Amino acid sequence: MRQPSAGEALSAALSAEYAAIYAYGRIGVRLTGAPRDAARQAEAAHRNRRDTLVVQLSTAGGVVPPDRAGYALPFPVTDRASALRLAAEVEERTAAHWRAALASTTGADRDQALAALVEYAVRATRWRKTAGLTPLTVPFPGRPT
Amino acid sequence: MVDEALGLAAAYKASATAHPDLADRLGPIAEAHTAHATELARVIGVALPSTVAAAPTDPANDPAGALAALRRLEKTAQQSATAACAAAPAERAALLGSITAARATHQEALK
Repeated sequence: MRQPSAGEALSAALSAEYAAIYAYGRIGVRLTGAPRDAARQAEAAHRNRRDTLVVQLSTAGGVVPPDRAGYALPFPVTDRASALRLAAEVEERTAAHWRAALASTTGADRDQALAALVEYAVRATRWRKTAGLTPLTVPFPGRPT
Repeated sequence: MVDEALGLAAAYKASATAHPDLADRLGPIAEAHTAHATELARVIGVALPSTVAAAPTDPANDPAGALAALRRLEKTAQQSATAACAAAPAERAALLGSITAARATHQEALK
């Protein structure tokens, strides 16, 4: 399989960030209290990364993929339990896109990808803890299964 | 990095033996470190050391102290994995990134 270029990998990460922001809109309304606050903070983190990527890709003259009106969710979000499960999955999926950007980047760009991978993997673990899901961790965060 | 991962696995096993109540929590993390060592040895092209790495220190007598010591080990190990990922050739960067992230999630799971 051909190694994607840094621009392609970051474009894919941006599309994943769009989808994560959309998902958190559906997740937040099913939560209350501390988990709701945590969802708001998570959504803000994904928005920040989205904004950074849009600037980064357009400055580099690359293709900035457009956001879409909606994204397919892997399962319906109908209550607290399904919202927490989706939050853990969103973090794990977004982490996977940043992990995929590691090979094609170096220096500050790789540091940026690693920071996102670590942050999202830790947040996935926190969501599993809140949801009472086990195991709390996966052996290789972000690795395709 | 291979030795470090095996040392972490050994530290978890020693703590699980000293504190059987923690075994369910520590077991999967010990297995993750062993899996990291195995995968690293495979991509580097070296044999996995056959001698079992010793835990760096004896686990604390109280469970909370043992967990705190493991968190400190993971934090140090996360830093060395971060440096290794930054310096890695393209073909190893993703694996080292996953190992860095795993060590961060272990600290969260031990809280």
